[in-house]
Amino acid sequence: MESRLLRVDLTTGECSVEVVPHAMFERWIGGSGINNWIMWEHFLTHDINCDPRGPDNIFVFGVGPLAGTGSGSGIKGRITFKSPCYGIFGDSAAGGKFPYMVRFAGFDYIAITGKAPRPVYLYLCDGEVEIRDAAHLWGKNTAEAHGALRQELGDYPSAAHTLTIGQAGEHQVGIAAVVSDASRIHARGGGGCVLGSKNLKAIAVQGSGGIRVDNPRGLLAWSRDFRQKIDQNEAIYGFKRRGTLGAVEMYQHIGSHFWRNNQGNMFRGEEVRSDNWVKKYHKYSEVCSADCYIACDGRYKIDGTESEKAKKYVGETFRRPEYLTTGSAAGALDLRDWAEVAHWGKVTNDYAIDNQDLSCSISFMMELEQRGLLSARDKGELFGRDQSLEWGNMEDVEALMHNIVHRENRFGDFFNDGPYWGALRYSEFKGENFMKYAIYGKGGASFTEEMRPFPTWMNNMAVASRGADHLKGIGLVEKFQRRDLSMKYFGRPEAADLTTPLLKGACTAVVENQVALLNSYGVCLFHWMLDPGGFTPEEYYGRAFAEITGIDRTPEELMRDGERICNLEKAFNSRLGLRREHDTVCERWMHEPCPEGMYPGKVASDMFETVLDEYYDWRGWDRKTGLQTASRLASLGLQDVAEVLAAEGALAPG
Amino acid sequence: MITINAQYQSRFREITGVEKEFFHLEQGTVAALAAQITGKYGPLMTALLMDEDSKSLNSRGTLYLNSKGQRVYLEDDLNEGETVFFMVGIAGG
Ligand code: SF4
Repeated sequence: MESRLLRVDLTTGECSVEVVPHAMFERWIGGSGINNWIMWEHFLTHDINCDPRGPDNIFVFGVGPLAGTGSGSGIKGRITFKSPCYGIFGDSAAGGKFPYMVRFAGFDYIAITGKAPRPVYLYLCDGEVEIRDAAHLWGKNTAEAHGALRQELGDYPSAAHTLTIGQAGEHQVGIAAVVSDASRIHARGGGGCVLGSKNLKAIAVQGSGGIRVDNPRGLLAWSRDFRQKIDQNEAIYGFKRRGTLGAVEMYQHIGSHFWRNNQGNMFRGEEVRSDNWVKKYHKYSEVCSADCYIACDGRYKIDGTESEKAKKYVGETFRRPEYLTTGSAAGALDLRDWAEVAHWGKVTNDYAIDNQDLSCSISFMMELEQRGLLSARDKGELFGRDQSLEWGNMEDVEALMHNIVHRENRFGDFFNDGPYWGALRYSEFKGENFMKYAIYGKGGASFTEEMRPFPTWMNNMAVASRGADHLKGIGLVEKFQRRDLSMKYFGRPEAADLTTPLLKGACTAVVENQVALLNSYGVCLFHWMLDPGGFTPEEYYGRAFAEITGIDRTPEELMRDGERICNLEKAFNSRLGLRREHDTVCERWMHEPCPEGMYPGKVASDMFETVLDEYYDWRGWDRKTGLQTASRLASLGLQDVAEVLAAEGALAPG
Repeated sequence: MITINAQYQSRFREITGVEKEFFHLEQGTVAALAAQITGKYGPLMTALLMDEDSKSLNSRGTLYLNSKGQRVYLEDDLNEGETVFFMVGIAGG
């Protein structure tokens, strides 16, 4: 396996290239696994308690070995950093063409430290690297910056592909995102804030190289089989047109949306809970990465005839919103028109800001208003004006979004790190406790889906390394009651049974290991969710990994690799002082009964501690402290990590 | 003979052209219901609803629930008047 890591110190302007040794792939697989290790090593020589907005933080971009090889399994690039909004491990994935173009330009990993004295962008082309002035890009949104770079760089040796921040990142908003090719968003954790703090507006790549594969014939055979499996699955045909929007009707049926700050769990607008999106707006499907056999991306163009509200957005065109864009807009904020939902998706991409934390910050405020907890004076203190805070009012939503993106008043400043920190700062400011209206899980991260009936899903919110998150331990076995998968993983059916805590923590652990593998291969999780390979990435995808890297592992060994990757993320957080008490969720999820839907009355506290204990047991971690044990780390070949933790008092006693 | 209400979402509804319909079954099982639905709507529905390899309901990207919110399997019994919902099972985004 041949791979190159580019290191850039923006303070000194030094750039250097290292070969990533084969042994690194043996230990960390690639993609997120290698990103994590690069960050771990960095913080062995730099203060891990540094200000995430300071020059000592590191920003790593990486792409796994399957990405761009023509395997057809989709591509995700990954960014990894210490999160400025949650103060813990941070990472985020996105598709698009940027990740494979980085490989075509001669690199697989980019590690950026320091801080440039003025706005710059990083330019990579066929093995060459330049740090260029970005004064002309500063102040532009991601679409404008991407367009300007495309024009500036021309089409030789290829079209330029970019990673950019928007105004949110420039203002170092904690929940700022990074956008790939102006449309695919690395939303979570505040990567855009880290780049903004380094004065790095963009990375632009052009390349004409290729990717070396250990056994091209073997990979071709795997890829053909994969294609056949995808084509045989009729459910994928529907997914091509709807993407994750296909979940809207199903979530409405079971009561899994997140309505008005999760005071409810079903959409109210007739339009947004219907399949009208497909009928009115869908123009065509497209592939986001050119190495994907599914092509779930869609495009809309608003012509103004769709609804009264659509008239405001005539001519607007962008990617079809995904489920969570819809969940945040039609759910958290109660916007009831598809044109507004679509517009919300576009604006949050243009500003480059995480729509989960943003919507929950705004919906927190709207709930205070709904409950009569905001006086005219309170609003004056927060906004410097008499701000209307009406559910479903797009003008109010945009005004508050603008405040946060530009950190332009007390509200914008308080909530720039999301709803948890915003609510805490506001409570301290007023000397009154408003925390029960803040929706969050680990690290203060929020998420716009109903969690209370789903114990694995809820556990994921409490333990995910990057803060409350749905993409580390994906709870499909339980949410879709996949008894077949429970039998496959555990030889027992309970992981699929919503009425018992049994195997729920175990399911988080097993799926986290699988997802860590997929993220390290560099593939798109939708292929796995639609199950062409039997939901066992350690077996099916493991074969493609072997053809590409020459690293032939048994499924058991690969699952241990996945577990090793998860343990390094955990160790990072343990060094930052996280313990069992940090693996938790907000008061509403913990104690307020689920109000409606198919599973009313559920609260997290019914099963929470039992599930968490089981999770720690499956991980081999200490129940009392939540810390890792020396013996389990040794069994994963992580004695070096255990030594670091032991020296800092972050290893379980005994 | 029992009567079962079948309700369809997204891709299922595209194939059936209706949101819901009733089926009269000699045998009160999910298998009998699936046989009637695939018989009525042909190969596209068969490809969506059935898993050729395992000879069970296709579980990839789909979800079938009874009115109590429990997933149904081919071998499950159905009672008179039961409703079965045919949905896509996808999350995230
Ligand atoms: S399935 Fe969709 S998100 Fe995944 S790589 Fe393909 S087009 Fe992109």
